[in-house]
Amino acid sequence: MAAQFPVAHKSFSLDIKGNKTDIVICKYDDNFLVMVTQIGCMGTILHARKEEGVSTEPTFHVAVIFGKRDEPFLAACARQLIENISSCGSTRPLVLSLGLKDHSPGTMKEIIYAVMENRLW
Amino acid sequence: MSSKELEESLSELQVGKRQVTHGENGENKSVQNDMSEGEVQVSCFTEDLHDVTLHFQIVKFSKQIYAWIGCNSAKLGHLYAAATTRPNNIVSVTSILGGTSDNTGSSIARRLVLKTGLNIVVACNIPKDSPMLEATAERKLTERLASLGYFRPREI
Repeated sequence: MAAQFPVAHKSFSLDIKGNKTDIVICKYDDNFLVMVTQIGCMGTILHARKEEGVSTEPTFHVAVIFGKRDEPFLAACARQLIENISSCGSTRPLVLSLGLKDHSPGTMKEIIYAVMENRLW
Repeated sequence: MSSKELEESLSELQVGKRQVTHGENGENKSVQNDMSEGEVQVSCFTEDLHDVTLHFQIVKFSKQIYAWIGCNSAKLGHLYAAATTRPNNIVSVTSILGGTSDNTGSSIARRLVLKTGLNIVVACNIPKDSPMLEATAERKLTERLASLGYFRPREI
């Protein structure tokens, strides 16, 4: 009997403001990987994790690890997603790649909705 | 040959495009050789060696390939990016996540770019100091990339 592949993934495509957007979401043992692209490559890669803390409110660390460091909405997108992951009960960090033609808040919102609708956490 | 005849014979030559489906776990997708098509393709497969199970996941974007190699586990491991850069298209590799002095994934990424000429991001959790395992993983991955048509193996 063939064992199922240990990494669950989902891939789909949608149109955001006229740009074809491909999204791949993967669930590893110790991480979530979300790749969003409009430009045919991974683009900017961000890392977001929940911080262990004493206070009741969770805090998060979000950083760009490869690519554009001057686009605040990319970090905001990662922040929204890691908060959603945390509120769904998972403490796994997120690796998010965003290769976008347009960095407007509207695009970010649509991406966040699309990822949350198809989430694996 | 008149231009009209030329147009007609050219239109007959057009290659029909195969349908690519989006899907869930474990399915191997059919692949078009046309790299300019904007579809993202995900392939997953597993290789069982005598004492170790290697899992592979390949995600093909139109200008880049992401590959994950799992050794007995489904952890993401260390992330490396490699590509040909100036001058003279030499290969550069950088560690993106984890693995600063760890070389397993970085040398795989570098040799993949050398062999295939593609822009590559590799995630790898193969333990350090296992060169045979590293070589096997790299070979299996390269074979699969070639069989999927993502690059043409060069005659050296």
